[in-house]
Amino acid sequence: MTDTRRRLVLAGHGMAGQRLLEAVTDRAPGAWRITVLAEEPRPAYDRVHLTSWFSGTTAEDLSLWPAGFAAEHDIDLRLDDPVTAVDRAARTVTTRSGHTVAYDALVLATGSRPFVPPVPGHDTPGCFVYRTIEDLEAIRDRAAHTGVGTVVGGGLLGLEAAGALREMGLHTHVVEFAPRLMAVQVDEGGGAALRRRIEELGVVVHTGVGGQAVGAGADGTVDSLTLSDGRTLATGMVVFSAGVRPRDELARSCGLPVGERGGIVVDTRCRTADPHIWAVGECAQAADGRVHGLVAPAYAMAEAAAEDITGGDGAFTGYEAATKLKLLGVDVASFGDAHGTGDGALEVLYSNTRAGVYKKLVVAPDGRLLGGVLVGDAAAYDLLRPLAAAGTPPATPPEQLVLPTPEGGAAGPVTLPDEAVVCSCHNVTKGAVRAAVSEGGCADVAAVKRCTRAGTGCGSCVRMLTTLVDDELAAGGAPVTKGLCEHFAHTRAELFEIVRVKNVTTFSRLIDEHGSGGEGCDVCKPVVGSILATLNPRLGNSVHILDGEQAALQDTNDHFLANLQRNGSYSVVPRVPGGEITPEGLITIGEIARDFGLYTKITGGQRIDLFGATVDQLPLIWRRLVDAGFESGHAYGKALRTVKSCVGQTWCRYGVQDSVALAIELELRYRGLRSPHKVKAAVSGCARECAEARSKDFGVIATSAGWNLYVGGNGGMTPRHADLLLTDADHATLLRTIDRFLMFYVRTADRLERTAPWIERMEGGLEHLRAVVVDDALGICDELDALMARHTETYEDEWRATLEDPERLRRFVSFANAPGTPDPTVRFLPERGQIRPAREHEAVAAR
Amino acid sequence: MTPRRIAVVGAGMAAARFAHQALALAGPGELDITLYGREPHAPYNRALLTGVLAGRYGATALGLPTGGAAVRAGAEVTDIDPAARTLRTATGEAARYDALVLATGAGPLPAPVPPPPAADRPDADGHRAPERHAPRRGVHVLRSLADAARLTEDVPLARRATVVGGGALGVDAARVLAGRGLRVHLVHRAPHLMDRHLDAGAAAVVRRGLEAVGVTVLTGREVTALLGGARVTGLAFADGGRHATDLVVLACGVRPRTRLARAAGLTVRDGVVVDDTLATSAPGVYAIGDCAEHRGVVHGRAEAAWAQADVLAARLSGARPGARYAGSPRFLRLSAGGLQVAAIGDSTGDSTGGDGSPTDTVHLADATRGSYKKLLLRGDRLVGALLVGDLTGVADLTAVHERSEPVPRDPLHLLTTEGALQ
Repeated sequence: MTDTRRRLVLAGHGMAGQRLLEAVTDRAPGAWRITVLAEEPRPAYDRVHLTSWFSGTTAEDLSLWPAGFAAEHDIDLRLDDPVTAVDRAARTVTTRSGHTVAYDALVLATGSRPFVPPVPGHDTPGCFVYRTIEDLEAIRDRAAHTGVGTVVGGGLLGLEAAGALREMGLHTHVVEFAPRLMAVQVDEGGGAALRRRIEELGVVVHTGVGGQAVGAGADGTVDSLTLSDGRTLATGMVVFSAGVRPRDELARSCGLPVGERGGIVVDTRCRTADPHIWAVGECAQAADGRVHGLVAPAYAMAEAAAEDITGGDGAFTGYEAATKLKLLGVDVASFGDAHGTGDGALEVLYSNTRAGVYKKLVVAPDGRLLGGVLVGDAAAYDLLRPLAAAGTPPATPPEQLVLPTPEGGAAGPVTLPDEAVVCSCHNVTKGAVRAAVSEGGCADVAAVKRCTRAGTGCGSCVRMLTTLVDDELAAGGAPVTKGLCEHFAHTRAELFEIVRVKNVTTFSRLIDEHGSGGEGCDVCKPVVGSILATLNPRLGNSVHILDGEQAALQDTNDHFLANLQRNGSYSVVPRVPGGEITPEGLITIGEIARDFGLYTKITGGQRIDLFGATVDQLPLIWRRLVDAGFESGHAYGKALRTVKSCVGQTWCRYGVQDSVALAIELELRYRGLRSPHKVKAAVSGCARECAEARSKDFGVIATSAGWNLYVGGNGGMTPRHADLLLTDADHATLLRTIDRFLMFYVRTADRLERTAPWIERMEGGLEHLRAVVVDDALGICDELDALMARHTETYEDEWRATLEDPERLRRFVSFANAPGTPDPTVRFLPERGQIRPAREHEAVAAR
Repeated sequence: MTPRRIAVVGAGMAAARFAHQALALAGPGELDITLYGREPHAPYNRALLTGVLAGRYGATALGLPTGGAAVRAGAEVTDIDPAARTLRTATGEAARYDALVLATGAGPLPAPVPPPPAADRPDADGHRAPERHAPRRGVHVLRSLADAARLTEDVPLARRATVVGGGALGVDAARVLAGRGLRVHLVHRAPHLMDRHLDAGAAAVVRRGLEAVGVTVLTGREVTALLGGARVTGLAFADGGRHATDLVVLACGVRPRTRLARAAGLTVRDGVVVDDTLATSAPGVYAIGDCAEHRGVVHGRAEAAWAQADVLAARLSGARPGARYAGSPRFLRLSAGGLQVAAIGDSTGDSTGGDGSPTDTVHLADATRGSYKKLLLRGDRLVGALLVGDLTGVADLTAVHERSEPVPRDPLHLLTTEGALQ
């Protein structure tokens, strides 16, 4: 029977080639009969992590060729048999062994070859390149017989090679023709810092010189390298790592156009001039006129070609180079316009020669981050690169972005928008990673890698990936172990009881006496912060969540009493109890939005969200809101959000009770109550349920005889209708029951557990809940009532309290350190509750 | 008991500080101090003259206390006789003294004009022949209240001003003149502004600050002549270029006024040479402030002058007869409106460690906010620091530098605000 499949021939089986195979078989399973003609004796492997071979990673570990892949997709992989000629007219290729293979589609993925400068003696035994596992094997064998090694080339790969030589115990020299190391990626200052760190490791660096001649000893192998400045280094080995050249010979010999400096010319779909031939990876000159040498663009080109071959619509238009590596143990990263070539680009610099740290950001006059160089400490790369790609000014002052990360206070990926690309090799966004966990069911980093491919390219994002996956798992309310985190073996409910019973007033005491000691983490700190916030009135602590030690416990949003948004700006939501607002209130909000240039949106919770504020604007905005009688809406907190209402009996022809009045009363009663997760509520004035109360954590629906109370409803990703807890209750019973329901929830729910899963998890479910909060089955209702009473008595508007206290204002004002106001004491001087320097900064920060 | 008579030649900042300190330290009636000044004013703070030009201070606002010393304003001392311990003034007064303190200060360097005949050359004390080859009107210095008044009167007559000299005074004067509505050029010989104290990066921040208020900065340009008739109309540069202007402020530096000391036969190099007790080569004669040269250094700034005045006051009052002056660290502080600059110690980092130890730098610069901060460290010592734009921490840095205290293991906290490290 004839095989009707079209024939795809892949010339070259490197990383780009393998990616193409995966993409084609993924998009069009079974549509192509695939033949792979590879030069190397082994299938595709991870060349990016080649150096790890010296530290014990095996060739098998590096392999990118999954067992069963060939069988599953019926791929004919021929190793050691590269294509030697292409007959475009006949649409066949000939291999080194003399086979001829016909194609409908030919993809050239032949990669590049190391450039060996034509110095005399460059082919002496003992001279190597650094490209394949075979190269590494030869280097290792030679290293066993010599004490000194020299790498020609101080770029990325050259330093990798130098690191490998040093690891093998060789005294190592690096010879670089340019005046500094890694000249392509880093600037002068970065190169100096890098050099210093590398020299501290004992590697001898020679810049501004080239190799002139390789000398051989009596045995005919390398024994010296003469430099262009006349000096001669005694060395038993020379590794040439002076760049690569695209392998475009096949294209040249069959008449396909190549670029001036090499590379098969392709368009955005990676098509060559021949409609049946594509080229991807390092052998191609992409549509942006460049030959890309990194894995991320190679993968992107493979994807684009696969799209085109399978009838899709992919494109590769170019790639903003970004790298992060550890070379000889030194972090080096660069991204975007690292050399600051743009118009009016401004530099933000931190360098510490003693610590060997150099960090430079390039910022556009409008505040956008254009690029940067990081040497010696590249921890901020994960955050900075997406910020640069985002194209909007970061809310954090640039100076803070380059400063060393304070212990435990790192700005983590939580500050990134969902659209930020966390894995640039595979173009995976933060949102995609989160979705893989929350919706795709991935339970660990390995699963997320399989599912999204994030972290499987250069691997530089794995650390951030781990944080993201952990955060998302935690946010999903599915604690992996019973204990809260590595610091506490207790659940949130248990910690709540400990704090309540033993009157533990501080986090540090709690972690010392009931946990691991130490600083805590992003999991336990906000939990304890929330517990303390609920119990503070009882403990005699300040009720303000930003006071004293508590400030350090809060999540990002709570930290600034505002909601972080996608570009790093914040949104402001004043409380509009029950959704009732006066015309004056509307006008005030409108004026503020206009004055600060904020975007306004009516939320699902019947209030108005003002987007686009910077941190330093927050106190200014809130000053005006508070003066107009508004309060914090706690949209940023794990706390009561809103009590939504329908119009109710007053206006509505169908209403049987005043739903608006009750909603306002409830919202004012429970405002500011910190809880394991956000709490939403609603009141409907009749059975038509216009307020959608049954999708809320607690919902009240009017009856002709009183109120029905529903609890445990949820919208969102896992909708749940609320359960009926009370029927035809009078006003006092209703309030008392909600008081107890909420306090019981706050006291016993897990971290980030909404009321819906909490009730589902509860042994005895709704029945048990009713027994506890209505009939006091556990004998705790007095206490629940008392706790709620203390809450309502001690409630204060967090924003008003913040504005009235210079200490609390500090965190906001510290961002307003404009030129001309250098004296930090001035910044915190209140004037009848106002702070003048912040107002001055408003002008500076005006966008 | 007859009080000890101390004559102070000069009534500037060093003189006033000395008198005030000495009288405060001495017992009642022990000292009789008289200040003889050239200028028709009681002592005032010369460092704030640009504030007068800016209209921020009236002339009287700058007055300095003298502790009740007699001040003979406008009575310039013309002769001293150290052997006879007498002096004479231009007003014909003669006086005897027990101790004499030279505090004659420094005068502005003259205009860069084609050298006049030698006899016609002005000296640092401002004595110059009445007829000059170069224009006089519209050409200013800024060293005295009279200079400030003259310049203030001239400002409305000009549209374009040029400040010659990009040191601290030139930078501040340029900023102030721009604030008075003139189109200002600042011309500086060196490749970057304030080159004695700042590195190129810090100077670039200062330059941007000046440009932001409308000053055009020309660096690497040497002025060789003032052009015009009676009134200045322009400048000529060494490279042959010319530049039109209505008003020139010369801020090319100062030199010690030493004429009196030379005439009296005292040892004078750049300044009047003093030892660690501030004594000159003549018995009973001391020198402090901008006219004095101590260990080969003429400090030429208020902090050093005050430190010298304090030591001498402690000695001559008898409060601490053994007090010695051991020198002052290099320091510069410029607070010019929004432009804040502090340079401490070896701030340009051009000198190497005596023991050959490398100089480390901790550097934090944010061009988006116009801040530039740099520490220079050798071992665990701070050898210099530069702050531009944001002077947070300048007091700590000065203290650490002056006391030569070991810097913290992580010196970064000396440079950052609490907000950055919270």
